[in-house]
Amino acid sequence: MRILLVEDDRDLGPAIAHALRGENFAVDLVDNGIDAAHSGETEHYDAAVLDLGLPGLDGVSVLRAWRAAQRNLPVLILTARDGWSDKVAGFKAGADDYLVKPFRVEELVMRLRALIRRAAGHAQPLLDCGPLTFDTQTGQFELDGLPLRLTAFEWRILSQLILRKNAVIERLDLLERVYEGDADVDSNSLEVIVGRLRKKIGAQMIETIRGRGYRLTCRT
Amino acid sequence: MVRAILQSLHARMLALSIGATLVALVLAGWAITTVLERFVIGGLDQRLDAEVTLLASTVDANGQIDRTRLHQQLGAMEGKPGWRWQIDAPGSKLGSEDFPHLDAGPPLLPPPSLSGTEGLPFDHDDQLRPLEGASEEGFPVHARTMTLETRGGPVTLTALAPRSVVRRPIMGALAPLMAALAALAALLGGATLIQLRLGLRPIRRLREQVAAIRAGARESVDEDQATELKPLAVELNALSRENKAALAAARQSAANLAHALKTPVAALALELRDEPGRAAQLARIDATIRHHLARARADAADRRATTRLAPAIEDLVTAVRRLHSDRPLTIEADIPSDLAIAVDHQDLDELVGNLLDNAARFAASRVFVVARALDSDARRVVVEIGDDGPGIPAAERSQVTKPGVRLDERGDGHGFGLTIVTDLIALYGGTVRLEDRQGGGLAVCLTLPAAQSTSSAQDAVR
Repeated sequence: MRILLVEDDRDLGPAIAHALRGENFAVDLVDNGIDAAHSGETEHYDAAVLDLGLPGLDGVSVLRAWRAAQRNLPVLILTARDGWSDKVAGFKAGADDYLVKPFRVEELVMRLRALIRRAAGHAQPLLDCGPLTFDTQTGQFELDGLPLRLTAFEWRILSQLILRKNAVIERLDLLERVYEGDADVDSNSLEVIVGRLRKKIGAQMIETIRGRGYRLTCRT
Repeated sequence: MVRAILQSLHARMLALSIGATLVALVLAGWAITTVLERFVIGGLDQRLDAEVTLLASTVDANGQIDRTRLHQQLGAMEGKPGWRWQIDAPGSKLGSEDFPHLDAGPPLLPPPSLSGTEGLPFDHDDQLRPLEGASEEGFPVHARTMTLETRGGPVTLTALAPRSVVRRPIMGALAPLMAALAALAALLGGATLIQLRLGLRPIRRLREQVAAIRAGARESVDEDQATELKPLAVELNALSRENKAALAAARQSAANLAHALKTPVAALALELRDEPGRAAQLARIDATIRHHLARARADAADRRATTRLAPAIEDLVTAVRRLHSDRPLTIEADIPSDLAIAVDHQDLDELVGNLLDNAARFAASRVFVVARALDSDARRVVVEIGDDGPGIPAAERSQVTKPGVRLDERGDGHGFGLTIVTDLIALYGGTVRLEDRQGGGLAVCLTLPAAQSTSSAQDAVR
């Protein structure tokens, strides 16, 4: 899962990015409104964390620009402005959630996961796929009731697959959701990671759709 | 006592005025009695002088007394008790038997030379002079005396009357005079009192206006004041404006400070999240910042604002719904579209936002917002925010609305927000009441001032 983090504070931005990466998210950190508007319109993210007071272009304008460009990624506003009028303005501009600084990272992560889950069309926090279970609140996978240990890349791919279980996910789309913006992407490495995942959860669960991408197939 | 008098302008002016009136009255009394006494003594002197003249007519040029003539004259003289006379001629002394001893009067003018003149000089008034003395019984007497130079030597003629003849008319005049003066004093005192009342009324009015500014009922004092007060009124208004600007600036900088602190506090909180002790301290810093930021915001109430309730609450409902979208929640709003209140939009957002958020947090699944104009008082609007949660026991409710009491000790640390609600409500002169909702849960009832247009619209309906 890949997050666009827009935060201009030099200490807070990297700290949040670090914390989110610790929860297996891929994070692109942007520190101004203009880059934020551009990234949000051109790249694919599972969610965005958006500060309101930004140099260049303020957060609400960035959000409006995304929505005007038909970008409907879930957006969580993370700001020091705790007035209800600010919250209303944020939601009216198209925000999906609003968190006031200072905040607990656990809360931010929980809210992000919930946003991403709901954006994928799942009302319940627990996702099942055959023997596989994904708790969207904790981010934990279980296989046959036992915790599944995954690397960050494995987690990103598997969570994408289970959010859109039984559907084909394009290779490029998957690549975009797994690697951070400045990473050297080697398309072969995706094959390698999927290979490792197949070993962990059973080869039959992840299908390769030739010329297109992958599909997580759920059979009970 | 004296200090108290000196500190009151009213008392000070009254005391001064009464003192001056009293001094003036005493002076007037003294002057009038003196004039009166002189007038009465003048009359007495004329009568005594007439007697002395009669006596003088019995003395011939040689200093001999014509006794036959004297007896005739005595019949014409006053025979009242206490009136006496005496002729002191060389060789003989005639007069009333109990003629008292008399003090010598002021020194005599040198008697005019009689040599070569015919007749007697007794018609010279200036030779008559006053004498004061006392009778044997001790009654003071007033006398007139004259000395005639005769060939036989000086002859002294004296006529006297008791002093009481003078005192009686004076005393008689004094009683009504004093009564009149006392009445005058009372009148002047009353006039002063009324004058002070009327004269100090503009000061009282100015004071009331200043009090109204402090109470928030006025923006400034009337500058159309008495000439002496006008500069004061202008200064007061300038002071009030400066005070307001300074207050606004202080609030703004408090808000700026709080905002500026939040991001670094957030960064610190991230770093310290594995150290519970220090994180707790940071949480306290955060709580303080939030509290003061909210305070600064709440203090700047604009009581002349007009905010339409329905769209504002609709936006808030959307916001709260999204904030709580992780669980199934129904928010039902029933707000008449024409309802407007005299509360600043941001303050309304704070009020209803906090209460809706609380309701959503504690609700089992449903939140209700209802607003309506009060039937009994068209200037009031009631907004009720209810939930189907556990409610608050009646015993704890009074605690909840007490200013400064945070009641989210049980919550998730984000603050119940009711402190700010009670502050804001108080600022707008509204009320907040916590009740049991019918069917369970808590209902928070706000009473808020209706916007002017709303009440007039309702009047039109009636």
